[in-house]
Amino acid sequence: MNFQELIKTLDEYWADQGCHISQPYDVEVGAGTMTPDTFLRALGPEPWRVAYVQPSRRPTDGRYGENPYRMQRYFQYQVIMKPSPDDIQDVYLGSLVALGINLSQHDIRFVEDDWEAPTLAAAGVGWEVWLDGMEITQFTYFQQVGGLPCQPVPVELTYGPERLAMYVQGVDDYRALDWSDQIKYGEIRYEEERQFSSYNFDTADTEMLWQLFGMYEHETHACLEADLPLAAYDYVLKCSHAFNLLDARRALSVTERGAMILRIRKMACQVAERYVARREELGFPLLADPGAD
Amino acid sequence: MAADLLYEIGIEEIPADMVLPALEQLEQALGQGLSRLRLEHGEITTYGTPRRLAIVVEGVDERQDDRVEEVKGPPAQAAFDGDGNATQAALGFAQSRGVEVSELEVRSTDKGEFVFAQVSQPGKAAAEVLPGLLREATEGLTFRKTMRWGDLDLRFARPIRWLVALLAGEVLDLEVAGVHAGRVTRGHRIIGSSAPEISSPDEYLSLLETNGVIADHRRRGEVIVAQAAELAAAQGHRLRINPDVLAEVNFLVECPLCIMGSFSPDYLKLPEEVVVTVLQGHQKALAVEDEAGNLVPNFIAVTNADPAAAETVREGWERVIVPRLDDARFYYEHDMRKPLRTRREELRDVTFLANLGSLYDKTQRLVEVVGWLAEHIADIPEQDAQIARQAAELAKCDQVTMMVSDGKLGEALQGIIGGYYACASGEPEEVAQAIAEQFRPQQPGDLIPVSPGGRLLSLADKIDQLVACFRLGKIPKGSADPYALRRQAAGIIEITVQSGYRFSLSGLIGRALQLLPQPEGAEGVLAVPEVAQRLKDFFGERLQAVWEQRGIDYDIGRAVLSTVWDDIADATARAELLAELRKSQPEVFNELVTAAERPARITRPAQIPEMAEVEATLFEHSTERQLADEFAAARQEIDVLLSGEAPDYGQAAEVMRGLLPTVHQYFEDVMVMVEDDVLRHNRLALLRSLDQLFLRLADFLEIVPSGE
Repeated sequence: MNFQELIKTLDEYWADQGCHISQPYDVEVGAGTMTPDTFLRALGPEPWRVAYVQPSRRPTDGRYGENPYRMQRYFQYQVIMKPSPDDIQDVYLGSLVALGINLSQHDIRFVEDDWEAPTLAAAGVGWEVWLDGMEITQFTYFQQVGGLPCQPVPVELTYGPERLAMYVQGVDDYRALDWSDQIKYGEIRYEEERQFSSYNFDTADTEMLWQLFGMYEHETHACLEADLPLAAYDYVLKCSHAFNLLDARRALSVTERGAMILRIRKMACQVAERYVARREELGFPLLADPGAD
Repeated sequence: MAADLLYEIGIEEIPADMVLPALEQLEQALGQGLSRLRLEHGEITTYGTPRRLAIVVEGVDERQDDRVEEVKGPPAQAAFDGDGNATQAALGFAQSRGVEVSELEVRSTDKGEFVFAQVSQPGKAAAEVLPGLLREATEGLTFRKTMRWGDLDLRFARPIRWLVALLAGEVLDLEVAGVHAGRVTRGHRIIGSSAPEISSPDEYLSLLETNGVIADHRRRGEVIVAQAAELAAAQGHRLRINPDVLAEVNFLVECPLCIMGSFSPDYLKLPEEVVVTVLQGHQKALAVEDEAGNLVPNFIAVTNADPAAAETVREGWERVIVPRLDDARFYYEHDMRKPLRTRREELRDVTFLANLGSLYDKTQRLVEVVGWLAEHIADIPEQDAQIARQAAELAKCDQVTMMVSDGKLGEALQGIIGGYYACASGEPEEVAQAIAEQFRPQQPGDLIPVSPGGRLLSLADKIDQLVACFRLGKIPKGSADPYALRRQAAGIIEITVQSGYRFSLSGLIGRALQLLPQPEGAEGVLAVPEVAQRLKDFFGERLQAVWEQRGIDYDIGRAVLSTVWDDIADATARAELLAELRKSQPEVFNELVTAAERPARITRPAQIPEMAEVEATLFEHSTERQLADEFAAARQEIDVLLSGEAPDYGQAAEVMRGLLPTVHQYFEDVMVMVEDDVLRHNRLALLRSLDQLFLRLADFLEIVPSGE
């Protein structure tokens, strides 16, 4: 099964489970959790079922393309179901079977791994799922997002599609993955990893990034003032990416680092609060019977 | 009639360390609940796996005993009129209790005559009362962390997905978290049937076993060790037993299948602790060693797989372990490129605790505290002090290495890896050893540092952590101790006692506090004198706890800590002596207590002028003179016995006990509390000196006589 078939299979499987298949968000994020389809939709009483691929940028994880497992930009396959279904573990295992993994031939384990994202004031309880000792999915029941308690509780499944594909295809290097039957992952993305690692670690203009962070932060507050939480959130994400680049450039002292995390967190909490208020003004349109809640 | 009860809570995979505490709580809740419900029962046994908390109670009464309860009604005067006829009050009372008016009895009580009814309560069927108990027990379970799921409000360790509640063959009518109890359990996720039905509690274990689950965790643990040992032995090796890892993996599997994998022997060039931490820390695999105790390039993974899958699973595990070892090697080689000493400057940029400066500042404090200790503990050779000071300078340099920055590896390897890096950077071997040992002991029963330098550094590191946290108001409360301060204090006590180090605890606290920077802009900061006092009290509590683990009775601990104490080793020596005396020579112990008690009881509440000195010319009885003489001799002897670095409390106690006959005689002959102020003060002054002499060992008024 090549890489694009794997994603297509997951799309089909989760569409059958009642998820709508969304498309990647177009602002840089460090993880699928940060996209509005997860971060914002996890909030409030409205039900939500979605699945999508999200390219994720983690500048510090870059290895100039040379490490077989690590990349500064990779993909996450993200599933959100709110409220969490009672049989979600079995449904999840079903997705592995759909990928051609014969469970009786493997060691599948749910190993405690609670998740926390300080910049998003978000936390959850769950596991990393092990396939023969390898972590293939992060499985989380959100408890809090943007400083607000989640009620009902969404469940988030985050697959590492590269890892899974490497397993399914039996290769030990991301570059050797078949993206399609015609072209390899490395042929498409190696040069990008090399250039961006170099940019992230060695080239990015830190003075500019500092300035951008300040401008984005300013714009976040302006958008909040204008009661546009969705636009405000884009600028929170931009702040977060600027911060990640500064971090990769080792331009932050420990104190500065902590202070910046706190600034992003504060903005994320304000957006979350404003977003829920706005949905409420709209009458929580996705609730089947808004009056019943 | 009695029937067996089975209750199984089916959950999504619960964290390994939560299972046993939950089972203990279940057992306790059911045991107490059943007696409260007046249901006799036989043995209670619990079983736990990652997906189930189960309890079996044998021979539960199927019905509560009938019970007759006496209920008090209205006063007799109100219940019956002058002719003895029942009034409305009596009729109403009888009716509400379901008895005839003729059955009401009049009896007198403290408050006059009242009407009573004998109300019979027929026992209820166990099946009727058990569901309430089971629900209460389930909802009452506490965990170190809980969660919510779906749209429920209930908090539990992980979502509850099924319940089995059977009394004999019957399903109990029970609902928890929206789940109805039934007789359907779940087998192993992969092996066995997904929904086997249990017809009666006695087939619980066997039915699960045929469905791929060893529910009895005790047996599962034995199976793991046996399988792992056999795999190792087949290669001529042996398992390196780590009880913590074994306990954890036991609750990660329902049907253990141990698998031996291998890796390139090249990785054994890494420090042994690094390899073991990679195997155990993240992957929870077991290490294997040869007969000489050296690691071999193998690991044992405890999996939950079907034996038929063994080969695939082994390959998979090797593909995971090898990159992790590779990561560690990358860190190691990268870290080694830079001499450890050169990293010290980087520590200026690492915060220690918010508002208390950098790690660099901390190392400077450690150098000073180590110096203070070397100066105040007798017989620390200058060479050891020198080593400890050098080690203190470098102690935190490994915090900025890649190895320690990697969360999971770092937690286990900090200090230890610093020792390796120090050695490789050409630092003296003794300095490297002290750095490596600075976090010992980690938990009760751990070894203390072997080297004197390591001991001094470990003491300094711990006291600095304690004063810093206390200064910021971060004091452990209840079970919340996020900075592991209890463990730090216990570590100081263990090192001090086992090394026989004598020093003033308040001196050490004072010096450490003095070195701490002024916390700027922090909330909840405590003033220095308050920190000193509360920390001293904290050490008192920790001493009690450490002593109790060493089998010293609580009252003996109190007796020692109620005296003026400021020296951990000295206080411990006194407590140990008294505990030993009570155990091996109870009569001697009791005589000592008796001798000490009477002077204490009479003088402590009494008013005695401050400067009252014993005046021999005022003695009226020969016993007074005799006691004064014996006391003077005893004090002189005890002064000698207790001076110096190794006070002989055993002999001192013997001398004190020797005073008993004369003390006895004194109280026979002498009336202490006489009218005459001068005489009374003189007598009290003598007895007070005696009390003070005994207080050099303990406050014997704290001793609880045996049998009480």
